[in-house]
Amino acid sequence: MRSFLDAKKDVAISAAVGAKDPAAVAAWQKELVDSGWVGRTIPKEYGGYGADPDLLAAIVIEEEFAEAGVSLGMANQGISMLIPTLLQYASEEQKQSFIGPTLAAETIWCQGYSEPGSGSDLASLQTRGVLDGDEYVINGQKIWTSTAHEADMMFGLIRTEMDAGKHGGITYILLSMDTPGIEVRPLKTMTGESSFNEVFFTDVRVPRSNVVGVPGQGWEIATYLLRHERAMLGRTTQTETFLASCVDILRETGLLDDPLYRDRLMKVQGRTIAMKYHGLRLLTDTLKKRPSGVSGLITKLNGCQLNYDVCELAIDALNERGILKAGSRRVRDGGAWQGNYMYALGLIIGGGTAQIQKNIISEVGLGMPREPKVPNAAPQGGTA
Amino acid sequence: MDFGLSEPQRMLQQTTAQFLTETAPLERVRQIMDSKEGYDAELLTQLGDQGLLGLLVDEEHGGFGLGLLDTIVAAQTLGAHSTPVNFHDQAVFAPLLLASIGGPLAEEWLPKVASGAARVSVADGALEATDAGLRALYVPDALHADAFLVVRGDEVFFVASENAVTEPLETVDDTRRLGDATFGNLGSPLEISTQQVQRARQAAQIALAADALGASRQGLDIAVDYAMQREQFGRIIGSYQGLKHVCAEVVAELDPVQSLVWFAAFSWDEQSPDVPWLAPLTKAHATEVGSYAVTQTTQVFGGIGFTWECDMHLFYKRVGFDRQLLGNPAELRRLAADLQHPAGGS
Repeated sequence: MRSFLDAKKDVAISAAVGAKDPAAVAAWQKELVDSGWVGRTIPKEYGGYGADPDLLAAIVIEEEFAEAGVSLGMANQGISMLIPTLLQYASEEQKQSFIGPTLAAETIWCQGYSEPGSGSDLASLQTRGVLDGDEYVINGQKIWTSTAHEADMMFGLIRTEMDAGKHGGITYILLSMDTPGIEVRPLKTMTGESSFNEVFFTDVRVPRSNVVGVPGQGWEIATYLLRHERAMLGRTTQTETFLASCVDILRETGLLDDPLYRDRLMKVQGRTIAMKYHGLRLLTDTLKKRPSGVSGLITKLNGCQLNYDVCELAIDALNERGILKAGSRRVRDGGAWQGNYMYALGLIIGGGTAQIQKNIISEVGLGMPREPKVPNAAPQGGTA
Repeated sequence: MDFGLSEPQRMLQQTTAQFLTETAPLERVRQIMDSKEGYDAELLTQLGDQGLLGLLVDEEHGGFGLGLLDTIVAAQTLGAHSTPVNFHDQAVFAPLLLASIGGPLAEEWLPKVASGAARVSVADGALEATDAGLRALYVPDALHADAFLVVRGDEVFFVASENAVTEPLETVDDTRRLGDATFGNLGSPLEISTQQVQRARQAAQIALAADALGASRQGLDIAVDYAMQREQFGRIIGSYQGLKHVCAEVVAELDPVQSLVWFAAFSWDEQSPDVPWLAPLTKAHATEVGSYAVTQTTQVFGGIGFTWECDMHLFYKRVGFDRQLLGNPAELRRLAADLQHPAGGS
């Protein structure tokens, strides 16, 4: 692998830098797939490499690429989330049509799950698809849709079975983003960037054949990955990189000799080492097929907060300079510290807020009961 | 790739827990705690018979010749049972010093330490000069020691108890007592290197970290059990998010400490060059997280948590003791920082 990385470094970097050049990106993606570094376990008949699943191999590949600073190609939700789902639930025809182009980065996907009224309570989603002949007519709105502005396709959750209850009424549908009636509006985040979008559906017509599985199976399909995905391993590679750069700042500013800053530094360092070996322990449990219990449930909560705290220490060490943002004179590291600080906050919220994580940790990890349902709550989902 | 306990280590964990549940249940712990002496020589022998005091002692001296990782599995279990024993001292610090000193001293005392027949205390705290001689402060089980290993700077001395005058101290954790010991004559320093003394101290620090983890995790477990039984406003209090989130936050902090403690002990066994800063940092982190945990979980019990009858204070005090001995968190972080980022490095 190292010889591959050495030989291909220049190609890879030009593909990453020239991300605007689709031909270069696609060529690099093909190279990665052909060599088995991406789509390693996807069967050959769908354009993959056809290797047996091997978690350790997957991690070694990721780490070697990260260390060499070489891009592992298009890391998008189509490859990480959709393909495994299709392999499990899709029809043969769907597998043939979608897996190959997705893996080759010819088809870019976005995920249409969250809605303005359905965040933590995702299953209450209200975007509806009504069958009209051989087509679903979809109306509603999705939100927090990363990459919707550049995606060719969406895999989304649509309520189609109005009498089947909250979870049972949801259907997993693939839809083309150039279908008439779809409008994508960028959502500017607190960082000033637009990495998310809102997606509006007005009488969007999607062929019935784009349903994955059967109508009403959507919730099962959408949570399949959550149930079967390799345990959240809580890798600390990024935290360690942040911490090393933070030490550089402390050294340059003279604060590495300041007892208060030394104490804060050692505090986050202790937490970082604990989380690093926590990740290895989870990896061992996963490899040995041992249940990891509460340990697997805490990595998101702790990992995001730790990144946030390391950024905060670096910003404090920069003093007034820590307020500057990207583009300013005198800004340190191109404004990355403030950017990462806010991005980490976004990650504390996204994919299940810290409060939702604490519900899961206490309920699943510690066996504490759910809050009782409010008796007179408004009916939800399909019964609304 | 195998980061976790081996099968024999899991067995050790289980048999130790079972042994302690049978031999030293909390009723017995409370009897010892409430006694004037706060010490039970019979319990020390029972721990010795069970093999727990000789884990780090080599086989020719009556031990098992195991590593620190095996030993802290026991330390953590003792912490979880609030067992009245200064394990970090008797089973870690003292035998490691004796093994490094070697010779007739090791021949005579290591087997007795391993069996629990003798209590050897390490005086590694502050020292003050008095008219009667050198006084060592905060010595574990000073009043019950058969012999002392006195650390003065780079030197170590052996003093038998008949040559020491001891005075008790009243400490908050009544299950593990401290005292002062005054030595008229220290004798000559023993053959031991600075590095060997530091290595023994680092192992004792890691053992205290494991003890604190065991105690604070047990505190969480009994708090969650209580929250699942107690009802208020017609509901189990464990169903309120206000309380569930406290428990979730505590376990999220505590659980990674397990990996840190294992890693520190493993690194010690492997003689990693990181141990001089990793051991103090591990103790700082484990005891600080432990303090946070017991502070929160005591509150889960409401007013009951403030009573003597509730077991929670045993774990609360256990962590407090572990936190102060052999360096408090701030002091240990300073030590770790000085080793990792020497001052003047800016």
